[in-house]
Amino acid sequence: MTTHFITAEIDLQETPAELQQTIEAEIKKQGQPLRWAVTSVDTTREKVTVEAVVTR
Amino acid sequence: MQRPYTAILIIPTGIGATIGGYAGDAIPLARVMSQVCDRLITHPNVLNGASLYWNISNSYYVEGYGLDKFASGGWGLRPVRSNRIGVILDKAIEPDLMLRHLQTVDGARATLGLNIVDSIVTDTSLGVEIGISTSGISWGTISNPDSLLRAAAKLVTTEKVEAIAVVGRFPDTMEGEEKYRQGKGVDPIAGAEAVISHLLVRTFKIPCAHAPALATSPPELDLSPLAAAEEIGYTYMPSVLVGLSRAPQFITSEKNKSLPGDIWVEEIDAVISPAGACGSSLLMSLSQRQCQIVTVTGNETLITVPAASLGIKSTQVSSYLEAIGVLAAHKAGVDPQALLRE
Repeated sequence: MTTHFITAEIDLQETPAELQQTIEAEIKKQGQPLRWAVTSVDTTREKVTVEAVVTR
Repeated sequence: MQRPYTAILIIPTGIGATIGGYAGDAIPLARVMSQVCDRLITHPNVLNGASLYWNISNSYYVEGYGLDKFASGGWGLRPVRSNRIGVILDKAIEPDLMLRHLQTVDGARATLGLNIVDSIVTDTSLGVEIGISTSGISWGTISNPDSLLRAAAKLVTTEKVEAIAVVGRFPDTMEGEEKYRQGKGVDPIAGAEAVISHLLVRTFKIPCAHAPALATSPPELDLSPLAAAEEIGYTYMPSVLVGLSRAPQFITSEKNKSLPGDIWVEEIDAVISPAGACGSSLLMSLSQRQCQIVTVTGNETLITVPAASLGIKSTQVSSYLEAIGVLAAHKAGVDPQALLRE
């Protein structure tokens, strides 16, 4: 097992529930999440930046 | 009879929170907030002050990964009288520093009566690496997570421990350390600490918390009071051991839902968070529940992710004093607006 820091840019969603599901699905493409958070929001481009640490 | 008023106080670690971003400097806040709640659920970053701690009788010490699972509805919390604690020590810790940690364990047994059953040294160095992300928050990784998991597995299967304290050897020089000791910027080790404890909680589903092992620094004339709790002892373990000694166990299976006193997410009345740190799994989960979300602008953070930007409805206040008033009103069933006049 190894641990990795990753970032991802994700589209803002209609609801927090949809955003949470989208973030978790995106992170899982890169490993099993240990910790994640939205660290910035670009309302003009309707994007959020997520930082996470995953295991692979 | 009213059910217990239950709130979660969250101050994410490693984001430079002006309150709670240092050495247990949110403990005064937790002490006051616990007075207007029947049950206050919070996490190690709030309650750990290295050598300093405060035993808040109606608080529940829940590690961040477990808190996320709790908020999602997947796990419940089961209060305990005490836990059998096991300690994992990083092989990279030098002999003198190792002895200091073992003596801290001895002291916690003899002076506090904690049930610490065994200490184990990892079979390889954990290889803790820390960094600061482009957003400015603290993060980290470990090179040998399998070694950590092997040590924990031994404690869980052989010693039947119910909680685990981990001590990783952290680098002696770190980016941002000087600013931190002056009460500015971000705690450079916080992100790696979270990764270590999250990995153990995810794998073993029991309470875990981390304390760093660091060489003693020379006395600092300009040391900030906010960082001082970490400079008055040889280890950071006392608060971690005390917190774990009565941390609630996780209920991870539906069939265990029946015991009185268990806490589930449906019972959460309110959550209080810094206003700029609303991009967490916990808040997104709770925003889907009947739970009052209170955000505090006066606790500034390095990141700016307000509730509204993600579609999360919240009551925004300027200070924790005001937040405590909102909680008291909520508990009383009074609309806070009724206490205000134009």
